[in-house]
Amino acid sequence: MLFDARGITVTLPGDAGPCRVLDGVDLGLAVREIVDVVGPSGSGKTTLLRALARLLPGATGTLTLAGEPAESVEPHVWRTRVTLLPQRAAIVGGTVRDNLLLPWRLMVRAPGDTPADSVLRPALDNVGLDVDLDRDASRLSVGQAARVALLRVLLARPRVLLLDEPDASLDPASAEQVRGMTRAFAEDGGGVVRVRHQPSDDLASRRFRLEGGRLAEVGA
Amino acid sequence: MNAAAGVVPIGWLELALATGFILATGALSLRLGLRLEKDLAIAAARTYAQLLALGFVLRWVFDVNAWWLVVGLLALMVAAAARVILKRAPDAPKGLFGTSAFAVALTGFTVTFAVTGLVVRVQPWYDARYVIPIGGMVLGNSMTGIALAIERTFADLDARAEEMLALTALGATRWEAAAPSVRAALRAGLIPTIAAMSAAGIVFIPGMMTGQILAGADPLEATKYQIVVMLMVSAATAIGAVTAVMLSYGRRFTADGVYLEKGFREDAR
Repeated sequence: MLFDARGITVTLPGDAGPCRVLDGVDLGLAVREIVDVVGPSGSGKTTLLRALARLLPGATGTLTLAGEPAESVEPHVWRTRVTLLPQRAAIVGGTVRDNLLLPWRLMVRAPGDTPADSVLRPALDNVGLDVDLDRDASRLSVGQAARVALLRVLLARPRVLLLDEPDASLDPASAEQVRGMTRAFAEDGGGVVRVRHQPSDDLASRRFRLEGGRLAEVGA
Repeated sequence: MNAAAGVVPIGWLELALATGFILATGALSLRLGLRLEKDLAIAAARTYAQLLALGFVLRWVFDVNAWWLVVGLLALMVAAAARVILKRAPDAPKGLFGTSAFAVALTGFTVTFAVTGLVVRVQPWYDARYVIPIGGMVLGNSMTGIALAIERTFADLDARAEEMLALTALGATRWEAAAPSVRAALRAGLIPTIAAMSAAGIVFIPGMMTGQILAGADPLEATKYQIVVMLMVSAATAIGAVTAVMLSYGRRFTADGVYLEKGFREDAR
């Protein structure tokens, strides 16, 4: 087992008092596995991904990565291994290169490991992004920005990738590129949890439905 | 009265005459439908009441001129400034009074006594005639800078919540996530002071210098005082804003370094 979550419970303040959004959710992930989580809007899918990445205040339950319990890992280090890609691509000011190298501007990574242009350029080409590394990132289209944000996470080489509606609001070509990147990451030994609204594709080995705070498998 | 011998006194009748200008403004407000007549009347009445009260208090404080009275008055001014900062920053988390008061007190006491002790060299060190007015200027300006920086910090953090989530998801510490907002806020807090220093003497004659010249001081001596005041005000604003922002921005983060968006706050205000 690559990644295991047990009894994830989240209670959030709501308009009518505290609301239990996740009620003891269990989710396991094998090496090279992609699983999908579906469910109605507001059912807590994004909340679940944030809890798995330790990005949610007040979440309880146990998390394990490759046998190592989350408590023995600093939260910001955990997030470099179990990395959430939020639904809306956060592109920071600067060039495409600045955005791709953002993870190496953080203290948690050694600056010496920063990828060179000779790594970035083929990486962009591989995902069909024919944009200059010096291009102003604010001029990227929605589809291009989504792929840059995903590529940025992939270059940082997490063990588990948590994708929040990765192909929502993308044109078919961009969505296909994103699926290709996700498949390649899993084949390389990673694990992926995808939150999706779209009809099932051939990537996920298992599919879960989140409703009423509970997660139930609905088949691949 | 010879102006060179000191300030030309203003009689109570002349003081009342000045109210005529406010009456004219009130008439203008009525004519244009601005609905500011009541606010103008209250503000004018407060100006009279507060400044006259201040005049009487200062006259008494200068007469007594005791160290405990001067320090006590400065402490009261610090508490009032901290309250104003909280009111001007509605997006800030609760419980910032102590932080604001500490930042104002740190700059207020340090800069005021550095100027009165090392530059003006007043004797005794607590001489109320120097310490209170200079302290007032330092506190007032640092309060404005701190309020601006605090308000801007928390507004910008909320505006950047999505970007900070992405940064934190990549492994950013809370400082790495918040730094762009903190830098922008500190710049915003310091720009008015820098602009005032740049425009001084060209666009306007600063208030303290105006007051000294009206009181009969030599313009060059008044200039020297004004330079000291402007520099100390810049220092006070910078130190105050940096202290307050650095001590407070972390309150919006959990111990795990996650930014508390609006839906996760218990102290939503």
